Amino acid sequence: MKSFATYQRLNTYIAILIFLLGSIAFYGVLQYVLLRQLDDSLKAEKQEISDYVQKYHQLPVIQNTKNQWVIIDSNAHTFANQKFRTIKLYNTIEQEMQEVRQLSFALAINNQQYFVQVNKSQAETEDLLQLIAILAFSMIALLLVLNYFVNRKLVNKLFKPFQKTISAIQAYKIGQKAPLQLPESSLAEMHLLNTSLNEMSQRIYVEYRSLKSFTENAAHEMQTPLAVMRSLIESIIQQNNLNEQGLNQLTTIDDNIQKLIKLHQSLLLLAKIENNQFQLNETVAINEIIIAKCEEKNSFIETKNLLLKLELNEVQLLFHRQLTDMLVNNMINNAIRYTPVNGEITIQLNKNELIICNTASAGSLDAEQVFKRFYKPQQQQEGTGLGLAIVNEICRLANWPIRYEFQNNKHCFIVQFFQKVS
Amino acid sequence: MKLLIIEDEVNLNTTIASFLTAAGYLCETVSNFKDAIEKIDLYEYDCIILDIMLPDGSGLELLRYLKLNKKNDGVIIISAKDSLDDKLTGLQLGADDYLTKPFHLPELAMRVAAIIRRKKMDGHNVINIDEWLYIDTIAQRVTIHNAAIELTQKEYQLLLFFVVNKNRILSKSAIAQHLWGDDMDLADHYDFIYTHIKNLRKKILSAGGEDCIRSIYGAGYKFQVN
Repeated sequence: MKSFATYQRLNTYIAILIFLLGSIAFYGVLQYVLLRQLDDSLKAEKQEISDYVQKYHQLPVIQNTKNQWVIIDSNAHTFANQKFRTIKLYNTIEQEMQEVRQLSFALAINNQQYFVQVNKSQAETEDLLQLIAILAFSMIALLLVLNYFVNRKLVNKLFKPFQKTISAIQAYKIGQKAPLQLPESSLAEMHLLNTSLNEMSQRIYVEYRSLKSFTENAAHEMQTPLAVMRSLIESIIQQNNLNEQGLNQLTTIDDNIQKLIKLHQSLLLLAKIENNQFQLNETVAINEIIIAKCEEKNSFIETKNLLLKLELNEVQLLFHRQLTDMLVNNMINNAIRYTPVNGEITIQLNKNELIICNTASAGSLDAEQVFKRFYKPQQQQEGTGLGLAIVNEICRLANWPIRYEFQNNKHCFIVQFFQKVS
Repeated sequence: MKLLIIEDEVNLNTTIASFLTAAGYLCETVSNFKDAIEKIDLYEYDCIILDIMLPDGSGLELLRYLKLNKKNDGVIIISAKDSLDDKLTGLQLGADDYLTKPFHLPELAMRVAAIIRRKKMDGHNVINIDEWLYIDTIAQRVTIHNAAIELTQKEYQLLLFFVVNKNRILSKSAIAQHLWGDDMDLADHYDFIYTHIKNLRKKILSAGGEDCIRSIYGAGYKFQVN
């Protein structure tokens, strides 16, 4: 509702401003008109008095009312011109102070000068103005309130299909078996949005499928010739007519086939991770995986006489079981492989991070390069050079930052778990 | 022991067949779905070696066919697809084992032998080598001249691997793969195999067994018996 709230707020401000300006202008105009009307009736009164004086050469008897009264001063010494003014006067009939419009003029009867003041109360005009103002303001208020509720209702209704679309997109996972299917909408904009999204999802889906089938086909197409080569080599080895050198060459070929297989599998795995071909919705008890891996590799640890220290808390992560397994496996394998004999490996796990440290045989590694593909320090030949690259990719997929530190002659790999700790 | 090898890659099909024939099995080979169905209908096999991707059909379809016709043949899937889904589907459809290509031929022989042992209903799964070495594969017990010998898990696996592939040269790579699977490159570097073989040989010799584990220079090891 954010955009609606912004719109509503702006709308309200502008409406209030316009209504306010309008009301002020209306008030001014109305007051001007009413005053003119008052002045006209005062003039008419003056005319009546003058006419009477002219006809009968004496002052008329004037009946004062509570709204209009005439004061005639016979001992006037001032000979002012006709003059309108608004003053506060005490109304003797109403017995209160009132705003009064007054027309004063001089009058001569039989050489006697009179000073006449025609007064008309402005109370009625004021009342009228007040009434109009109240009416105007209540109209504004009513309009704003109605506008607010109607807009809200309407916008809610208009936004419903939009929200449906949003939740459908949120629920959609790229690995799903079908592209996104958003419903038709009678609203032109929603229809456009939904069909565009459907088309986009269709395109992504097709590309995803073809990428997936490519990686699968690549696996198949490359593994088969490798399988043929390996089986042929093994057949030849079984024949008894080979000398030591021949056998040696054949096993070297087989070892290299093994390297190729491993490399190929690792690269395929990296491609799969990069293409997000895994659904990350499994609850994984990483502490159990670590324990299982350590037991599995215990014979290697014992043979190298390594000291393994475990400090594990129970940690459950929402991720992918196989990938977590691979992450832990590669990190532990690395630690075992690169720890010198009699060295030490420590594995610490808490809900924030996993730290695997091992005694270094030489100095620090290049923290910038260590997670790069085919990085092999000190010309070490064993391994594919992809183990840590895979670890890095898995961490990237999981959104867990990983870093390398060199502390107290130890290589430390630290994986930080950011989210989804349950 | 009759085996059916269903594999469309002819070279692989032939080498598997010749390796297993040399191991004493009777092998028949087909390279497509249609022929495979024909063979399955006509004969009964102790074990079928089945490639999933065939030019005219899926190996999984063949598994369904076997199940539908209540055939009791043992099946091992060999597939280039290393996908967990395929593995699970295959095993759910009644396959006994799943081996990802490329594999070592001795490993295949090992798996085939295990399936056949399991399928045999006569109760005792005892491998007998020249009347002096007996391996009970259910109890995982090894006796030499009627006296039990204590072997570690890895030594037992190693011995069984040797015995099943007797008189064959086993490369270090095949042995490492068999014993440690994906961790084999860890084992490779520190010559674990040599240590294990040395220990196994010592135990066999001290129990009065014959010295039949030969080191074949440049290639690997061989369990030699008559």
